[in-house]
Amino acid sequence: MRYRNRKKRSPWGHVKAWLTRLFRVYAHEFTLVLHDKGLLLFFGFLPFVYPVLYSLIYNPEVVREVEMIVVDHDRTPLSRELVRNIDACEQAWVMGYAADLAEAREAMNRGDCYAILEIPEGFDRKVGRGETGNAVMYCEMSLLLRYKSLLIAVTNVMEEMGSELMTETINRVGPLVGTITDGNLMPIVNASLGNIKSGFDSFIMPAVIILILQQCLILVVGMAGGAKHENPRMTLYNPYNYMGSTIGTMLGQALCYMTIMFIPCVFMIHYVPMIFRFPMAGNVLEELMFLLPMTLGCVGMGFVFQAVVTERESVFVSWVVTSLLFLLISGIIWPRYDMPVVWRWLGAIFPSTWGVEGFVKMNTDGSRLWQVGSEYINLWILAVVWWIAGWCAQKWVVHPEIRRHELQRAVVVAQIKAQRTERDETEVQG
Amino acid sequence: MKTEPRGSKVWIIPDTVKGIMVRSLIQIARRPLMWVGLFLLPLFMFLFIGTMLDAGLPTRIPAGIVDKDGTKLSRGITQTLSGMQMVDLKETPNSYTQARQMLQEGKIYGFFMIPENFQSDLLSGRKPAITFYTNMAYYVPGTLLFKTFKATAIYSKAGVAMEVVQDVGQNPENFASLMMPVNVTSRCIGNPQLNYGIYLGNSFMPAVLQLMIMLCTVFALGQEVKYHTSPRLMKMAHGSIARALFGKLFPQTVIWWVMAFFLTAWMFRFNHYPMYGQWWVIALSQLLYVVASQAFAVAVFGILPNLRFSLSVCALTGILTFSIAAYSFPVQSMYSGLAIFSYLMPARYNFLIYANTALNGLPFHYSGIWFACYLVYPLLAILLMGRIKKAFVKPVYTP
Repeated sequence: MRYRNRKKRSPWGHVKAWLTRLFRVYAHEFTLVLHDKGLLLFFGFLPFVYPVLYSLIYNPEVVREVEMIVVDHDRTPLSRELVRNIDACEQAWVMGYAADLAEAREAMNRGDCYAILEIPEGFDRKVGRGETGNAVMYCEMSLLLRYKSLLIAVTNVMEEMGSELMTETINRVGPLVGTITDGNLMPIVNASLGNIKSGFDSFIMPAVIILILQQCLILVVGMAGGAKHENPRMTLYNPYNYMGSTIGTMLGQALCYMTIMFIPCVFMIHYVPMIFRFPMAGNVLEELMFLLPMTLGCVGMGFVFQAVVTERESVFVSWVVTSLLFLLISGIIWPRYDMPVVWRWLGAIFPSTWGVEGFVKMNTDGSRLWQVGSEYINLWILAVVWWIAGWCAQKWVVHPEIRRHELQRAVVVAQIKAQRTERDETEVQG
Repeated sequence: MKTEPRGSKVWIIPDTVKGIMVRSLIQIARRPLMWVGLFLLPLFMFLFIGTMLDAGLPTRIPAGIVDKDGTKLSRGITQTLSGMQMVDLKETPNSYTQARQMLQEGKIYGFFMIPENFQSDLLSGRKPAITFYTNMAYYVPGTLLFKTFKATAIYSKAGVAMEVVQDVGQNPENFASLMMPVNVTSRCIGNPQLNYGIYLGNSFMPAVLQLMIMLCTVFALGQEVKYHTSPRLMKMAHGSIARALFGKLFPQTVIWWVMAFFLTAWMFRFNHYPMYGQWWVIALSQLLYVVASQAFAVAVFGILPNLRFSLSVCALTGILTFSIAAYSFPVQSMYSGLAIFSYLMPARYNFLIYANTALNGLPFHYSGIWFACYLVYPLLAILLMGRIKKAFVKPVYTP
């Protein structure tokens, strides 16, 4: 009977029926998400609060006015000029002079300053004689950004004073040359592309945004899987959502998660950079198109992850720390070409690696979609591979497990409902 | 229907603190998830971070040079640049546009630009500018390239000056100091090679430890509430929450101590991170760090005795630690309203003690105050124990 009914359907009828069932899974998944405060927290909190918090932490972008103490054994106009010039740089702040290195060192030990500039006796005399005047800067190295700021300040001062002194010397020795080399002989200009302020926030945030997107999706899918494994007493609603075909179910669920994630995603890739003035060189539509295979890949990874999540809360213990792994392996901090081979290959199987690579290029450097073609193709390949792995995990691990729970759940739910009606009746009577 | 974690009721365990400890150990041994959280993930992350940053600094960064001049002078600059250790001059684009596209595609991280008529302009005093571009979207390679490009430009400038001097009939040997009349040498205390492993490993690995400690602690406590086994635990502790918590968490503390010592050995012995201070200070710091992290988690659980909420808070703070504890961006540069939160996490004190002791080789009394801060966490946890007791006696699970 059933067979005949099926046969009567036109091909379009089959598709229509399949789509109806897909839509039912899609709609039911929404109900499940709404039932689950944990998932709602992930959807609502993670993508909206995390990027803002992170951006706020790093928002001053650059390290300015790093404290420095000077030990000047020379005490000449030139040594004072050097100190004045360094102090004039926005990166360094000369707090004061110390009598000797020991005193300065003590200040550094106490954490009052992070660098000591020692100018030796005879500094001015040496420069006057036509030799190189050497000063030494000692840096506290617990943070590289401080050192970087100081180094930039000192290099700039060195270059500028060098040019001046050079012109002076040339003029003194060969007046003819002076006409040629008046002022700066060969100006050196540098420009930072992409992240034009060379800011730390603008550097790290585009990558972090992509990582949040991936982690959010995987945690959501993982936790949803955990809820399905959960003991019936814990979740009274039926978390089972199945349309007869594994791939169809996966598709319905994925569409649901992606629908919910759409607004957070736009918020993260467009509004967060807008609020915090990060580079926004990319085209949002192209970026969304680029992120489509990434989100698919992440959901696929989540489906695989469901196979090992037996409890809703276990996703925290087993997944949260991986954010750091993904951050380091994505190549944003340490370039991918220079990584140990094992880690480069491991990184290649995660959507976030290519997502970060491509998104940073698009958002920060203004690449077009075709310029990140290799990353885009990699993301599609990964999406397919993770979906195949996810299909296997769902078909052979997750669904059989849930089916085992079905009967148990029915019994428990019936019991609890009976108890409730009994209680309600007594209340009414009372 | 009684719901308990799988197989936790088969054993007959005496109602003593020792009994609670045995029960706790059995619970750990029976949950694969606890194995993952206590051993597998932390060890993997230590291994990963240690080996990832093993090389110290990336070298041979792909770069390009746009030589629009094509003279002896510009070729000299190209040669100087390609001789630099940090740079791998991979591409020779013909124009700025082409170079920028290569940069956008990630083929190069920066390029050096020599303008047209560079040599003739220079020798006739028209002051042509040398420009270099670095892709700061990738901070580390960008900064390293910046440094190398800058040095090359300064050297080239000195070379050009020599040439100018020679052209007007002077002996360039008289101008040796023109190369660099004023020089400031940087001495990086404790990390002279600017090793990235020393800089990131020493802060990230303990922060991973803290994150895992917090998650595992809260998870273990929350499980009791979720599966309604906490009344049994309270009964075993004869109604004393202090005994219950001690018995429940001390086995984990011991495991974390072992992990912390392994971590210390991994950092300072196997990875050869600098260790200029006294060993006992670092050892004491690690011991207290574990306790402080656990106490922080207990305090969070005391405030929110709900498995999911407290796990969420621990995950949030644990992950934010990597930024807010100022491992890269200094506290002094943050907004002061946020900077105070830096001192909320035990990892911050671990980092400060490490910097003082291992990196800068200072004696104990410079870090004494940070040790005192470790002790605040257990006090906080003790204050909040009453709330945990309430939750344990009448467990309510909210999904």
